[in-house]
Amino acid sequence: MFLHYIDLGWRSLRRTPTVSFLMVLAIALGIGITMTSLSVYHMMSMDPIEQKSDRLFHPQLQTMDDGNDTWSEDNLPFQLTYQDAQHLAQAPVGRYKAAMLRTGFTLHMENSDVRPFIQNARATHADFFNLFDLPFIYGSAWTQEQADDASPVVVISEALNDKLFGGRNSVGEQFFLDDTAFRVVGVVAPFTTHMKFYDVNNGAFRDHENLYIPFSLIAVMDIDTWGNSNGWKFENIRSMKDKRQSEIFWLQFWVQLDDDAAVKQYGEYLMGYMAEQQKSGRFNRENLQFGLRNVNDWLDYRNVVSEDNEVLVALSFMFLAVCLANILGLLLAKFMRRAPEVGVRRALGASKRQVFLQHIVEVSMLGLIGGLLGIALAQLGLWGVRLTQEYYSPLATMDMTMLLSAPVIAIAACVIAGMYPAWLVCRTTPATYLKTQ
Amino acid sequence: MLEIKPIINALRRSKVGAVLLLIQIAITTAIVSNAAFIIQDRMTYLQQDTGYPEQDIFSLSVMTYGKDRDLSQQFEEDENMLRNLPGVVDAAITNAVPLSGSGSASGMGLKPAPEPGRSVRAGYLMADDHMLNTLGVTLSEGRNFYPDDVIVTQDPNKLPKVAIATRTFADEAFPEGDGLGKMMYIGDRPFKIIGIVDKMKGPWLKDDRPDNVIIFPYIKAETYQHIIIRTEPGQRAAVMQTIEDKMLAAYDKRVITNVIAMDEDKRQYNASDTLMLRMLMVLIVVLVAITALGIFGLTLFNISKRTRQIGTRRALGARKSDIIRYFMVENTLICAGGLLLGCTAAILMGQQLLQRFSLPALEMQYVAGTALMVLVMTLLAVIFPARRAAQISPSVATRSI
Amino acid sequence: MLTMKNVSKVYQTEMVQTHALRDFDLEVKEGEFIAVTGPSGSGKTTFLNIAGMLEPFSSGQYMLDDVNVGALSDNQRADLRNQKIGFIFQGFNLIPDLNLYENVEVPLRYRGIKAAERKKRIEACLEQVGLASRAKHLPQQLSGGQQQRVAIARALAGEPRFLLADEPTGNLDSLMARQVMELLEQINRDGATIVMVTHDPELARRAPRNIQIVDGQVADLTLYQGVARQTDRAVVGG
Repeated sequence: MFLHYIDLGWRSLRRTPTVSFLMVLAIALGIGITMTSLSVYHMMSMDPIEQKSDRLFHPQLQTMDDGNDTWSEDNLPFQLTYQDAQHLAQAPVGRYKAAMLRTGFTLHMENSDVRPFIQNARATHADFFNLFDLPFIYGSAWTQEQADDASPVVVISEALNDKLFGGRNSVGEQFFLDDTAFRVVGVVAPFTTHMKFYDVNNGAFRDHENLYIPFSLIAVMDIDTWGNSNGWKFENIRSMKDKRQSEIFWLQFWVQLDDDAAVKQYGEYLMGYMAEQQKSGRFNRENLQFGLRNVNDWLDYRNVVSEDNEVLVALSFMFLAVCLANILGLLLAKFMRRAPEVGVRRALGASKRQVFLQHIVEVSMLGLIGGLLGIALAQLGLWGVRLTQEYYSPLATMDMTMLLSAPVIAIAACVIAGMYPAWLVCRTTPATYLKTQ
Repeated sequence: MLEIKPIINALRRSKVGAVLLLIQIAITTAIVSNAAFIIQDRMTYLQQDTGYPEQDIFSLSVMTYGKDRDLSQQFEEDENMLRNLPGVVDAAITNAVPLSGSGSASGMGLKPAPEPGRSVRAGYLMADDHMLNTLGVTLSEGRNFYPDDVIVTQDPNKLPKVAIATRTFADEAFPEGDGLGKMMYIGDRPFKIIGIVDKMKGPWLKDDRPDNVIIFPYIKAETYQHIIIRTEPGQRAAVMQTIEDKMLAAYDKRVITNVIAMDEDKRQYNASDTLMLRMLMVLIVVLVAITALGIFGLTLFNISKRTRQIGTRRALGARKSDIIRYFMVENTLICAGGLLLGCTAAILMGQQLLQRFSLPALEMQYVAGTALMVLVMTLLAVIFPARRAAQISPSVATRSI
Repeated sequence: MLTMKNVSKVYQTEMVQTHALRDFDLEVKEGEFIAVTGPSGSGKTTFLNIAGMLEPFSSGQYMLDDVNVGALSDNQRADLRNQKIGFIFQGFNLIPDLNLYENVEVPLRYRGIKAAERKKRIEACLEQVGLASRAKHLPQQLSGGQQQRVAIARALAGEPRFLLADEPTGNLDSLMARQVMELLEQINRDGATIVMVTHDPELARRAPRNIQIVDGQVADLTLYQGVARQTDRAVVGG
């Protein structure tokens, strides 16, 4: 019977090509516009590390004197001071933990065709790769010993390995970062997400760094951040050493806590640490306060999804509603004109349910066609988005979920719009239309 | 004579069609007025005067890795070389590029730290006496830096004693408008405002104080440095093309990146606003088209349902213009209802947007303007089907269908 | 087979109540061929619609094969209609986008009959009305008489025991009307019960039993043949 309804629906659509075209166009436009903004929204709000986003935490410490404000909604600083980051990295709590900051160097090689270029880098602890599940293609992370000695060793991404070494096993090879020779100890697989969730300070959708160096080099090489530094009081910073000892917030920190007990224990540890710091006179506060958010809470807190995009998603769904009202009107006209035929079918033994289903199948087909066309329009829209804003390029695409939800949303919308006309047409007394034609 | 009462009765009998039309008009009005307002807001932002001749300025970044030369001296040579290039008006080394979205800001105190006192936040640029000319801005008060004011040093203890500020900044610090010549403090270090520029935007157009800018006569050569260059009108592209080679020819143990025109830099910084603008424009255009189409379709449907009735009216002596007027009045009535609902919805929606997002409050003239536009569009969408209805022959009344 | 007792139908509009049928009594036996006549607006079509369960009735009792129709749900009525009743309309009411084969198929589809069985029955029915060769044609390609024969084939396809015909020849010329009538008589001989509403006194006379409906009430003409002949002239034809 279902196939029969599809056949009937198809004939009906073909019988009134103009109306069908208008309806399909209305759905396609509605879906196209909705899917364009929804796809960007979906990519922006996607869980970047599903398998463990609820176990990775970014701690925040309130180390400002009372009466000072920062930009966050709960007045906790987004980043950590060097001394706190350094301390937490050594702390006995937490499964994996890594402090980190974004920096950069000129990368150049001896005897190479590759012209010197500027390369973003991340200075971090070796646990970084464990925290974020980055498998090694060649070699491994640096050893504890290399970290302790602040050895000039480096882990590079697969992309950089391709660029510098043509993709071969480059472990043991050397290149210069500024004027220091570094030795490659590992080549790591790329992140699967476009979102730089571990450091959203300069935009959550910037490219991941391609180069990782031991955290201990920050002190040895006087490395400064290429990201944000925020101070809250006047400090006379004359050198990088001053900055490392200052109250300036400029580092990110992530820790893996495997269960609630670990989270609780970590919170207690943070409180204890702050109490101890306060005793030593570092800051002057009435109440101690810390933050410990997992990945998704953190992204929410940092407003990773742009407000503009949320406004657009809301507006496009309203737009879809207008398209639906339109379709509803057209369907009403179309179905009511067909009432005599329905009368005949009812007289020949069709139940209300069968008539209703027949019409719902027809509008679903309308939805499917409109949805597919809508995907095409959304691709056009996303192309426009990529053209306007390169930064959104990795986001302005439709993944499998979006490709599948487009027709689902379209069909659902059409069924909602078609419900009333279909109900109206199946409800009419068949006798009304039988006498005259 | 407008036959409003019979029209209302007819509408009450075909409720669904009228309600659908009403809903469409209401939602359209709500969306369009808010979207138009956001568009206008972003347009004003994007087209604001930055104070710079953006089309003649470009910037580049230099990352030096060679350690065999003195950086300060190297940069001095670079500046001389650049200033003498054909087509170049002036060039300056700086710590940050205006409009680029990256730079430094700090609170400037009215009292030396640690004395308590108000401080005013400003984005600051550090460059020499060529900076004003390079940026193409002119002083409205005071004087430019003398070459003697400029401190070229690697010693963090040596700090500048004077500064040039924007009018906005000086007025915020000294509301009486007498900022010129006053002392201010970075921490405990004093400096004097010796010049005032009327208009000059800082590194971040989206900062809550984009007009608070200060220039210090100070060059602390770093391995990562920016250079701003202003060219003769029309010469910029040519200069930009050869700049990397020229810089590397002067010294090659460095990397030249981010060679970017100032207007392009601004465009990239504002890309998300441009995107919003475009998306909203597409949305409005398509929405209005769809609604017009909807009104058109529903009127056609109404007319086809009432062919006989129209024929009867014609047979009873109605003129063509009466028929047209009937449909026009009918649609105007529905439209008025929709607009009433739509304007209310628009205002509520504006309040929601204001509350939930950092958008300014909706201005009423946008609602009024949109309502007028929707009304005109509604009437236009009805005229054609109504004229068609007027063509219906009186004879259909006598023929049975 | 069909028994109506005190059946009434009232149409209620905003202002007025119209009694289409009042205290309508009728019994139809298996195998009968009844012609229903009566003036315009007397309730003929209302009676037929109620008999065919296309319309609910206001009060009274209607039994069809010992089933109390008044107690059935809409879906049950649809099933019963589908199994027991065939309709033939004055306007033929063929579905314009379906070809003849598909038109005849409609009631069989709703009954859920398998495709192979459907094919067999449809071909047989079209054969019976002499249109087997035109199965792929669309209704508008046929003459009125041919269309009505298709409608009859469609009514027969479900092998109904009860055939309701509303002015089956009303839109046909007299030659075609006679052919259709002969077809109906043949069907009646094959065992189906037929109730036919008609304006045409000649056709009515060919039916073994005549009923006249006046003002929503029945007058069984077979009981007063002589009188009926007289009144016939007076009322029929309006």
